[in-house]
Formats: sequence, structure tokens, C-alpha cells
Amino acid sequence: MRAEPAGTTSPATRSLTLPAVQALRDKLLELWRARELLRQFVGKELKVRYKNSALGFFWSLLTPALMTVVFTVVFAFVIRINVPDFAAFFLSGYLVWQFFQNSVQGAIQSIVGSGSLIKKVYFPREILPLSIVLSQLVHFLLALLAVSPYLIWTRGWSILFHLPAVLVGVVVITVFTSGITMLLAGANVTFRDLQELIVVIFMVWFYATPIIYPLAMVANVDNSAAKIAASVLAYNPMTWFIRLFRESIYGVVTANPACAPGRECAEPFLASGPVWPSPELLVVTVTAAAVTFGVGYFLFHRFAVNFAKEV
Amino acid sequence: MVLDSLRDFIRGDTDGPAIQVEGLTERFRLYKERPGGIKERLTRFRRPEYEDFEALSDVTFVIEQGESVGIIGHNGSGKSTLLKVLARILPPDEGRVEINGRVASLLELGAGMHGDLSGRENVYLNGAILGLTRSEIDERFDDIVDFAGVRPFLDTAVRNYSSGMYVRLGFAIAINVDPDILLVDEVLSVGDAQFQERSLQRMADFKERGKTIVVVSHDLNAIEDLCDRTIVLHRGKLVFDGPAGEGATQYAQLMGTGGTEGVRHDDGSYGSGHVRIDDVILVDTHGTRVTSVMPSTQMRLRVRLTARQDIDACSVGAIVRGTSGDLYEVHTTWQGLGVGPLPAGATAVVDISFTAHVLAGRFWITPVVTDPGVREQHAVVPDAIEFEVRPAPGGVGIVDMVAATSVFEGPALRLGGIETTGPLPIVRADTDDDSETRAG
Repeated sequence: MRAEPAGTTSPATRSLTLPAVQALRDKLLELWRARELLRQFVGKELKVRYKNSALGFFWSLLTPALMTVVFTVVFAFVIRINVPDFAAFFLSGYLVWQFFQNSVQGAIQSIVGSGSLIKKVYFPREILPLSIVLSQLVHFLLALLAVSPYLIWTRGWSILFHLPAVLVGVVVITVFTSGITMLLAGANVTFRDLQELIVVIFMVWFYATPIIYPLAMVANVDNSAAKIAASVLAYNPMTWFIRLFRESIYGVVTANPACAPGRECAEPFLASGPVWPSPELLVVTVTAAAVTFGVGYFLFHRFAVNFAKEV
Repeated sequence: MVLDSLRDFIRGDTDGPAIQVEGLTERFRLYKERPGGIKERLTRFRRPEYEDFEALSDVTFVIEQGESVGIIGHNGSGKSTLLKVLARILPPDEGRVEINGRVASLLELGAGMHGDLSGRENVYLNGAILGLTRSEIDERFDDIVDFAGVRPFLDTAVRNYSSGMYVRLGFAIAINVDPDILLVDEVLSVGDAQFQERSLQRMADFKERGKTIVVVSHDLNAIEDLCDRTIVLHRGKLVFDGPAGEGATQYAQLMGTGGTEGVRHDDGSYGSGHVRIDDVILVDTHGTRVTSVMPSTQMRLRVRLTARQDIDACSVGAIVRGTSGDLYEVHTTWQGLGVGPLPAGATAVVDISFTAHVLAGRFWITPVVTDPGVREQHAVVPDAIEFEVRPAPGGVGIVDMVAATSVFEGPALRLGGIETTGPLPIVRADTDDDSETRAG
């Protein structure tokens, strides 16, 4: 996907005549110089969101709270996915998902929606999607703080001991989300219906990610449908990011070996306490985040050449 | 130490010319239809058709530090595009642009102000957009607020500001950025007279301190006052670069003088060239050519055009502007009327009748021939017609609202004819033939 049909223009901008490394350094320096602007944009996002409602922060907690109640009732009592502490289990995945989804869906129209600004002032354009991601990060951290007493109560004090792993998880997920948002926000300028398409994609993606069910549920079932499902989950990067976060804040869910397959069982799943992420998990998520960010950043700048003409 | 050298590196070195432009070409893509999204791309198996339009072609010049340069040209000559390239908003398609020093651009005052945020918050947001750090804004905060005169309203959301306050705040922030190079696009024509004077004073101070200014304006007087040098652009090409006075003369020549004399084709028109505008005249209801009329006179713009290749349908329109900007725009297709089909070489004459409900001033009409969607411009003759509306009694302002007065209740008093009591009684004395025009 490119913004330009190849060969119609021969861009000979200053940045392209220099070696790529120096061009990249220039771009990053420029981003560093614009950090105050990024801070202001994040502040604006947060202020505008909280200014017009006395309940402010409460509203941003309402969605995860309601979703937790709904999914706990449905899955813990009606469909009975008996995962220990289902609400804690759900929250440990859903908060990450919500951060990811809100960032992408908010940032995808950040370029198109700021047309007047882009046509009138120069600043590093990646600030627009990044400011959405960072303001969502603030919501994410506040929501995490708000539910932490509940998590500690259900999963024990060892969560605090694993705090460094939680922070690493937050950083890695933020980098990954930034890469995706830059890519999509840039592409959305050329393909304006991307933002509608992404809503549908996220609906499917949500269920294709182990958020409301444990990974162990598909991993240990021996039939062909479950095999396909397992491989889909393995290739879904969000599976890994959810795991990275959930394992250090909730624990690892495993199938109960005492339960025979296919029979009713009071406790089909067992959960460990919070654990350190495995090296494999770290390598996969860090690599995925770095590659996504690199590709997203590179393509965003390819798209950005035409922003002022196309928005 | 390291931080200092890093800062120097970031700021860029300030030796050498302020602006160097070499072989700059900027293209715009004029789509024949609105470019669609993924769905259109997948279902139609082709890219949307478009034509390239060169807004700037092969422009080269150097601006030394401390120079103040005015860029002038017709609407569509590429001057605003050039400013946007200098402001780094548009990357060059071809050629090289090198800028030394910190640039602030005033392309639109208050671009990026957010209505829900307070004046104070907007100062910080807008300052950051213009490239200031937090401490730099802190330093300038009082100057900005005092210059704009909005101190009592600092904690009010700017949504509730009057348009004057909004504009003043925007200018105050921009001028206090204190850049090395200031790029200005027509924005000086805002605010009340007193504020304008203060703004011009600020620009002059700025120039005194040896900073570089690049201004784009229609206002030749302002350019001559402020600038040492002008660059005249014509259809994307640099046609003159030299002293301000000479530049203004060049520009006036390019604009042509007698708009009502018709169109000289090599003079200012542009467009795809599929259609040529041969002649444009402005007549009154009797069919007599007019250049000076009374308020609310009915007139007819007659555009004669020739198709230079087969055209299915096109639209003829007119844009009327006054000294402060565009006032009115109309196209035949907006009224459900298309012109065509026209085989190559065929001519057509289109009449646009209108009533100029404006009061005293000078006005310009730009005829345009476009595709039926008014997207692709076949032919545009900027400011082909110039006419004047003479002062008349009965009301003052911008729009002629054709007011009538009466005393509904209570005693009325006849003070005499409007010749003696109107706001502009002197002009009425020699207007015997005008009443004819007006009645006509």
C-alpha cells in the first residue's frame, strides 16, 4: 500500500538526498524538539474529555466496569467458563484490549480530522496519532490503578512484587499500539473508508483474542476446529500482548489435569499467581512491537508527504 | 556541555542565506472524480483518473538574512503554495529548499486553537504548535496576553471569545514566537484599525532587528511599505525578482487594466485549456457596458467561450471579490444548468445575471469554466472584470439591504429629500444619469 502510484513523481526532497540514517536522525530530533507540543496535545485530549463532565474520570471507567459485569455474568454464571476469579481474569485482558482499541479507533482519523491544522502549520505529523495513544495510556494507567485493590484482593500481594514486569508490558504494548496507529492513521488519508472497516475488524479481532476465555481452553482440546483456532491465536499478536500483561498481573491459566476431557468438571481451569514473563514471550512481544513500530513509522512518513495536499 | 552542543545542532547553524530555493516544482493532483476508499479501489480495478497541475514550476531564488520580501501574483499564481513550501507544510516535489533558522508562519491566525480550552491553555497549545518550549512560553506569556488585551478572559473558554479577541490572541502568540524568519499570508488585514497599526509596528520592529520576513499579499501598498524586494509569480513561474516598487509595476501590468475590455488570453488566465474564455463583458440591463454603477444595480456578465477539444458538459461560473476577500460565487451547474456538448471549436455564450447588493467599493469578477462538478478548472481568468459601486445615500456598510423607513405609530416629520439628509449627501448632486442606471 502506497499513497502514490509509483513513478509519477520523483520526490527529491532534502531528506531523501541525504543518507537514510541522517534523515532518520533528523526526523527523530525533530520529534524530540516537538515534545512540548506532544505534551500539550495529550493534555488537550485529557482536558477536553474531562472538562465537560463533573464525573470526569468516572466515565472512562464506566465502560470497563460494565463490560466486566456483563461478561462475568454471562461467562462465569451462564456459559460457565469457570476460570478462577473471572472478573479479575477478564479485567487483566480487557483493560489492555481497551487501550489498544480506543487508541487505534481514536487515532485513525487523527490526521484526516486535523486537516485545517495540517494545512496551516508544520509540526511532526506523527504527534497527532501519538498524542491519542499517550492520552489513552493515561486512561489505561488510571483504570489499572482503580482496579488494583480488587486485583490484589483476589490475586494476592505478589502482584506488587511483579510490578516491573507489568511496567515492561505496558511499555511494549504502547510501542506496538503506536506503530499500528501511525500506519492506520496515515493510510486512512488515502483510503477514507479504512476507519469504518476497522470497527468491523476490531469486533472480530476481539473474539479472536483470548480475553474472555483462557488460551488453555483451545490449546488442550483435541479436534481439528480447535487446532485451527489455536493456530489463529498463535499468529494473532494481541494474544501475546494480552499474555504478557495478564501473566504478570493475574497469572497463568492451565487446564485442570484432574478433569477428564468432555466431562463436567467443577474446576476445569486452574490459575497460578502472577508470574514473570517467559523469555520466549518477551522475545516475541518485544520483536513484534519493535518491527511494528519501525514499519508504522516508516510508512507513516511515506504517507505524510501528501497529507497537506490530500486532507 | 553536551546538551548545549545538541541544542545548537537542533537549532541549526545561522550562517548563510536565510532561504535558498532551487528548481522548486510543486504539483497538485486534480482528480476527475473524488478519490474513493478501499471499496472503490477493489471493485473498479483502476485508480481514479487525475491530471497533474503544476502550482510552481522551476522556481529559484535566494533570500539573505535580514531581507524582507513580498510575494505577489494573481489568485492561483502559486504564491500561497510557495509560502507553504517555505513553511515546510508541503514538501517539494522537485528541487531543493533550504532554510536557515527558526521559522514561524502566520498562514492562519489561531489555527489550532481549541474552543473548549481556556485562553491560558490555548496560549500554551498554540505556542507549542509554533515550536516554543514551555519555558519560552512562560517568558512570553505576559507580553502575549497584554498585546492581545484578553487578560480578564484568560480562564474563559475561547469558544466564548468574540472574533476580534480570537484573532488578536492568535496574532499575539504568533508575533511573540520571535523567529528568525517570519512567513505571513494576508493575515494582516484582520482586526480593527488600531490593532492593525500595532501589528504593523511589530512587523517593522521585527525587521529592524535584522530578521527575515516573507509576506504574501494582494495589498501592494503594504508590500511596498514593508518590503525591500518583491518576487512576482505568474502561473507558477517566477517572472520578476527585484526592488519592491518595480515589482508592483510589473504586477499591475500583469493584472491588466481595463477588465471590461475583454480578455487578452496571454494575460493571467490559467486552467486545463480544454476550454478557452474568449471574451468577458459586464453590461447593464440595456446591454450597455458598465464599469461604475449604483448600489443594487442589475447587471449581466456575458462570457464567450470556445471548446478546444470535445467537451460533454462544462459549467460556467463567476467569483466576485471585494478588497477584503471573496463575496459571492456561482456556477451554472449549481443552478442545474450545464453547457454542452460542445465539439472542438464550437463556441458558446453564457449570461450570468445578478444584482450587486453591495455598497460603495471596488469589486472584481473572475470568470471560470469548470467540469460539471466544479472540480477541474478548464479556464480561469483572474479578476477579468473590475467594477466600482459608487457611494449613494440611504445607508452605509457593506451590503445594500435596501432599507425603507416609516413611522408606524406617532407623529412623523418630513425633514427634506434624501439628497440633504442621507449619510453621503454630496455625491447625490451629480447623479442624474445614475438614477437611470439604477432604475434600469
